[in-house]
Amino acid sequence: MFASSMLEFKKYLTENGIVFCYSGYMTEDILHGIGSALKKKLDLEEVDRKVSKAAFAIFVEQVQNIIRYSAETVPQDHDASMRYGILSVGYAGKNIFVSCGNAVDNATAEKLKSLLEKIKSLDRDGLKALWKETLKGEPPEGSKGAGIGFIDIARQAKGGIEFDFVRLDADNMFFTIKAYI
Amino acid sequence: MDKVMLEAGARSPEVSFDFAANVYCLKGESYPEDVNEFYGELMDKLEQHLESLSSATVKFTFEFVYFNSSTAKILMGLFELLDETANRGNTVEVIWVYQEDDDNMQELGEEFCEELSHARYTLAVVA
Repeated sequence: MFASSMLEFKKYLTENGIVFCYSGYMTEDILHGIGSALKKKLDLEEVDRKVSKAAFAIFVEQVQNIIRYSAETVPQDHDASMRYGILSVGYAGKNIFVSCGNAVDNATAEKLKSLLEKIKSLDRDGLKALWKETLKGEPPEGSKGAGIGFIDIARQAKGGIEFDFVRLDADNMFFTIKAYI
Repeated sequence: MDKVMLEAGARSPEVSFDFAANVYCLKGESYPEDVNEFYGELMDKLEQHLESLSSATVKFTFEFVYFNSSTAKILMGLFELLDETANRGNTVEVIWVYQEDDDNMQELGEEFCEELSHARYTLAVVA
């Protein structure tokens, strides 16, 4: 019985072009493991090296964002906790996409929304200027990384980015971003 | 403290800092879990040393295949430090090495190097 439900799940992924999918708590070891498998898969498919490098780079930024920012953690309210996220890599037509989703609190959702709207409105030169400005500036308050991952994703995603939010509960939203290479 | 030599890790670059000769190199991939943990002490040592120099010749080679956005932030600080070192009367030569078909790493090299007003730089291709 559960073989057929697993198969249904696999069919769903396949029908949506998904080649890799991970859902669960993210760690740097998982990042390294899936990252290596992703590189190997793209090599085997003889994907253009520029495309495969961009896919890998976007993958790393998305996973490290989850590791640092996801609001869904075990144990709760603990700084050294593991963070939950879902990640997929696949094909939309001939284009590779890398997509992830995770919970964010309301305040973070607002900040992300305005940052991503700004990023989407910029052309290549505008993105480069924002990238440099952010590299030279102080990291935003509460940021554990350089706060620059999303700009980097947009610069590498030659096919553009999409993002969306849906409400989880009173305090949190579910955030997702999809980057096309 | 004459030399810092670190082999490449799973997510960290090979580091070769020869403080006596003033020859430095970062090579490979860089996306460590915590960039400050990996680069913090290293960059502090380098800054302290470079600030003590006068009329010296410094050579810094970057030979990255990949680095993440947090590493880019460290690199921007490093480029500022190298340019200040050159501005104080030292000769600073930056060499940015990229692989032949790696347009992205070439573009990043151009973007970082255009920040330099006093240090000299070269972009070099390897096959």
